[in-house]
Amino acid sequence: MTHSREALIRIKDLHKSYYDGEAELPVLQGVDFMVRPSEMLAIVGASGVGKSTLLHILGALDRPTAGTVFYEEQDIFTFPDKALARFRNEHIGFVFQFHHLLPEFTALENVAMSAILGGVTQQSSVHPHTDKAKEIASCYDTRSVYTRAQELLAYVGLSERQEHYPSQLSGGERQRVAIARALMNQPQVVLADEPTGNLDSRSSEAVLELLWLMNAQAGQTFVIVTHNKELAERADRTVHLVDGKISTAGKW
Amino acid sequence: MKFEWFVASRYLRSRRKQSFISLISIISIGGVALGVATVILAIAVLNGVEHGLKERFLANEAHVVLMLHGSDFFGGYTQRIAQIEALDEVVAASPVVYSQVAVFPEHSKRIQDVIHIKGIEPAKEDIVTGFSRFVAGSVDFQNSPLIAKAERLSDNTVTGGIVLGARLADRLGIVKGDILRLVVELQEHPINPDTFIPDLSNFVVIGLYESELAVYDNSFGFIHIAAAQKLYNRANRVNAIFVRLRDAEVAPQAAPRITDTVQFSVLEGLPIARTWMEVHAPLFAALRLEKTLTVVIEALIILVAAFNIASTLIMTVMEKTRDVGTFRTLGASRGSIMGIFMIQGSVIGILGTLLGTGLGLTLCWLLSSNSLRPSPWWALIVAMPVLLQVLIALRRITPRPGGFKMALWLFWLVSIGFGLYCFVKPISLVELGLSQIYQMNQLPIKVNWFFVGFINALSFLICWLATLYPAWQAANLNPVEALQHE
Ligand SMILES: Nc1ncnc2c1ncn2[C@@H]1O[C@H](COP(=O)(O)OP(=O)(O)OP(=O)(O)O)[C@@H](O)[C@H]1O
Ligand SMILES: [Mg+2]
Repeated sequence: MTHSREALIRIKDLHKSYYDGEAELPVLQGVDFMVRPSEMLAIVGASGVGKSTLLHILGALDRPTAGTVFYEEQDIFTFPDKALARFRNEHIGFVFQFHHLLPEFTALENVAMSAILGGVTQQSSVHPHTDKAKEIASCYDTRSVYTRAQELLAYVGLSERQEHYPSQLSGGERQRVAIARALMNQPQVVLADEPTGNLDSRSSEAVLELLWLMNAQAGQTFVIVTHNKELAERADRTVHLVDGKISTAGKW
Repeated sequence: MKFEWFVASRYLRSRRKQSFISLISIISIGGVALGVATVILAIAVLNGVEHGLKERFLANEAHVVLMLHGSDFFGGYTQRIAQIEALDEVVAASPVVYSQVAVFPEHSKRIQDVIHIKGIEPAKEDIVTGFSRFVAGSVDFQNSPLIAKAERLSDNTVTGGIVLGARLADRLGIVKGDILRLVVELQEHPINPDTFIPDLSNFVVIGLYESELAVYDNSFGFIHIAAAQKLYNRANRVNAIFVRLRDAEVAPQAAPRITDTVQFSVLEGLPIARTWMEVHAPLFAALRLEKTLTVVIEALIILVAAFNIASTLIMTVMEKTRDVGTFRTLGASRGSIMGIFMIQGSVIGILGTLLGTGLGLTLCWLLSSNSLRPSPWWALIVAMPVLLQVLIALRRITPRPGGFKMALWLFWLVSIGFGLYCFVKPISLVELGLSQIYQMNQLPIKVNWFFVGFINALSFLICWLATLYPAWQAANLNPVEALQHE
């Protein structure tokens, strides 16, 4: 796998504290690292050290107390809400430990949702490459949206389950739908928080296969928070989070 | 395809497991619908009553009545009438001798009633109050064949003919051709000064007056103006002039112009012109108050329905918190999230408003068409959906989704409509006393389209405002916390 040296995401001196009244609970205390394009990056660390917190900030779902995150040199926390939402829609895919599928929509609709959503915020693209904006726009008519969603479901091996609701799927199947959903808008980076944490070893193996396949075929960047040793070892790079900072020890 | 619509419509239907939300949306829709339907119906009835009353008043009555203070007689009325009729807004004016007398039928020994007597010039009176339209029989006060016939059969001399209110005649037990005796004055007894003898005049009933205003039918008699002048020994004098205007609504402006025109001398007295509105002012004031109160109460009902929508939405937002988190990760902006819930609430508001308008107008139509009369059998129709619902609750019947359920709701709607109809129809007629006093045998209905539009707009506005807070709440959920919501 070839990596360019320049960073896709640059995390600079990130601090995050939770406050409970007067009491401050520092979680992240100066996190610095970068994510390179098309790499598989694993984030490991003890439970409660702040991995999920870090990932949420990377996806701009939460704001840091101090420090910032640059995507291709753009500070995402300076975006107004609408632009940020659009940025998330176009460039970031999420996979969580709990699938977070929408219970009232079919598997197909769940996968297609982010493209349907993209149709709304189309006007204010913040992406520098207008090609990409056009490309996304082109797939915003209903037919091609569902065609792509069907392809993705086929890709994760769930062609037969398009019309099923999440409650009718097994845990592993739900997670595969969630992965298909994360890839719908061809995001540059997929942020995954313990994607296999809730699965047995066989399902978890299938899910991992899928992630690597995606990385190999589409060159998507993955940032994966995990407790899974095997996954961490397969990753191109592993970042250790210790006491709110990136530990220099470990595979770098 | 719009994302917000896509999601909102799915949440409204919510046919999957949390189906209680869709039940709640139906209840919310029903609340709005009932509020809108009742306000449309209530105002239509009140408008109908007002309109019906006006129509009846204007059909039987002069628009302006000119009298002197104390009902004094005055002369020169032909000339004064000509002056009044020269005014632009006046159609015609008629001279009237207006008084009250005691009456009894020829073969009775006791005074049975005190009635109003109107001495009129029939041709003029026809133009001003449409007099002869309401008379069954003759209006020829002097030459009706009934007069000659009655004179032959009776020992008493007959002064002329009288047209009597139909109900008054019933009460007195007399029919056309009978003689009615009028007690005009009491004269001192020539021998015994402590007693009086009545000055009696005999009139033959030549016609019966039946209008839509009970007050005339119950207590009025009409005689020729000349006969009335003779009764009171006031040749060429009258005590009232009745005026008909081109437009009844301008009566308040026309009245002072009329008093200015006729010019009574100080000796004659002070003229007063009373408009038909002044005569019935208390009634119209009461109706207006009732209308205002109705609108206020109904606005409160719609407000309650709006709170219902707000609570439905707050519950939906609570239920969908995780979904909101998910939508945010997929890239929904705050505005989009707000949009989902506002659409959901607005759809409830629009559906409720439209349904209520439909229901209200249907009821108005049913009530005014008079083709359907409530009967106890209707209770069966109302009981049917209740029974069905009980059976469903007891699981004796399993409703298939879709058509059956829709049919059931439609059934409910029709039943509620029927129920309201059965309830409103008999009560209102009796309550308003319309059937007795104003001869309204059917509930008067007048739909004011402007008001229907207004209430639609108001209802929708209230519902829309009710969506703001819950939607704003959803939009401002912290995405991370929303995702972790249990
Ligand atoms: N909303 C919050 N308010 C207060 N404290 C919080 C909040 N969210 C997380 N924390 C705390 O921050 C710390 C980091 O939490 P985080 O979920 O990031 O840990 P983690 O590394 O993902 O752990 P795990 O591996 O168990 O998922 C924990 O001590 C947690 O209790
Ligand atoms: Mg975690």
